[in-house]
Amino acid sequence: MRLSRTLMATAILTTLVALHFTLRPLLDWRAGVDFLVIGMLIIAVRVRPGAAALVGFALGLLTDAMSPDAFGAAALAMTLVGFGASRLKAAFFADDLLLNAIFIFVGKAVFDLIYLLAEGRLGGLGLVAQLFLWTPLAALVTAIVGLAVMAVVRPALEQRRPR
Amino acid sequence: MPRGSRGDSRADTVVAIGCVLLALTLLILPDGPRDAVAGAIRGNLLGPLAAMQERAARARSTLVLNDSLRVVADSVVARSQRLEAVTAENDRLRELLGLGRALRWGYVPAEALVGRRLGEEHTLLLSAGAVQGVSPLSAVVTAEGLVGMVQQVDPTTSVAITWPHPDFRVSAVSLDGSSFGIVSAHGGVGADRYLLELHGVPYRAPLRAGSPIVSSGLGGVYPRGLLIGTVVRELRRGTSWARSYLVRPTVRPADVTAVMILSPERSAEGVESVWEPAAQEMLRRVRAAADSVAAAADRARSDSAPPDSAGTEPR
Repeated sequence: MRLSRTLMATAILTTLVALHFTLRPLLDWRAGVDFLVIGMLIIAVRVRPGAAALVGFALGLLTDAMSPDAFGAAALAMTLVGFGASRLKAAFFADDLLLNAIFIFVGKAVFDLIYLLAEGRLGGLGLVAQLFLWTPLAALVTAIVGLAVMAVVRPALEQRRPR
Repeated sequence: MPRGSRGDSRADTVVAIGCVLLALTLLILPDGPRDAVAGAIRGNLLGPLAAMQERAARARSTLVLNDSLRVVADSVVARSQRLEAVTAENDRLRELLGLGRALRWGYVPAEALVGRRLGEEHTLLLSAGAVQGVSPLSAVVTAEGLVGMVQQVDPTTSVAITWPHPDFRVSAVSLDGSSFGIVSAHGGVGADRYLLELHGVPYRAPLRAGSPIVSSGLGGVYPRGLLIGTVVRELRRGTSWARSYLVRPTVRPADVTAVMILSPERSAEGVESVWEPAAQEMLRRVRAAADSVAAAADRARSDSAPPDSAGTEPR
């Protein structure tokens, strides 16, 4: 990424992080929007897998620091999702809206799955309810909001290819 | 795959594995070091974010609290409004009890339902009928004064016309007995339609604004001394040999919920003593108001008079 686009990407990520820590607690939905996953996926498809893993790890640490009971779980989940998203970007790096929505949906679902398994707090029926009810709902909401975010930020991050 | 690309890919994998291992290490850290690391991140990097999150959470709880407080405030307002209505009804019932004590005999208490449908605006449905001893052409009164007259009587209910009814007429007299006339509905438009009209008053007997008007007892339906209302002002009409006055009634039919129906025997006996104190009080207020107006006029006249030049002018 060029410098201007790097700065733009940093600004977008910062905004999404701020939204995650302001709008999300304000809404306080049971199946809330995960702005960090949206931000991480937007960055991940535009950088190399190693950088995506690093960004994911850093964003995961932010989440972990706020809930130290499962310190490291979010970092692990974000790292894996970021790395995987960056690896798969060839498949998903398209202008198709539905494909982007599926990409965010799956990203959030995988993040929740890894996070829940890594933190080990939930078990039995609680884990099942979380994985099969609340996680899909949260992923759906995140995908819808993610599409809106992408529609806004895509023109700014669009890469102009030299002739 | 080109060699550089393969090298980059390997480096990416190494970085990712490093991050995963670091995350796993953080996961299995003992409580002490884990809290120290988390605290360091929170304190240095996440200070502003934590503050933002805390403020957002507080804003949310404030919003929720505001909603519940509004619910509490609304219910308190609703209760207080109900309380006002109950207090007003209690006062009316107390007054009616007082009226019952003053009348002593010859009356039937009844609840009144004001007609709301078209053509029923000027009638009351009363919860007493022939079984309770109500007969047609009986006067219907409250503690404030005259309401109307029973028109139809059924076994357990009866229908009364109220003073705004076009057929309502009552022979009336001023409290001192100097001015006679007939009171009927004014039939004006707007706020005036809630007023009465006293017409046929001889020219030699003018009435002051605020003077109480009571029934004269002529006609056999309404006993003498029933308070009807107070004079508002004289109505100017071009060619007439008598004066007409606008009268504000003491009873508002819309507020009537309980009434007394006077029996013909009681009406024949007269009820002058029942409403006389209230009428006298009105008269006293009119006189007091007239006196204070006269005093104010005197003061104004003396203030506007030229100062006496003999010895009062300063040198």
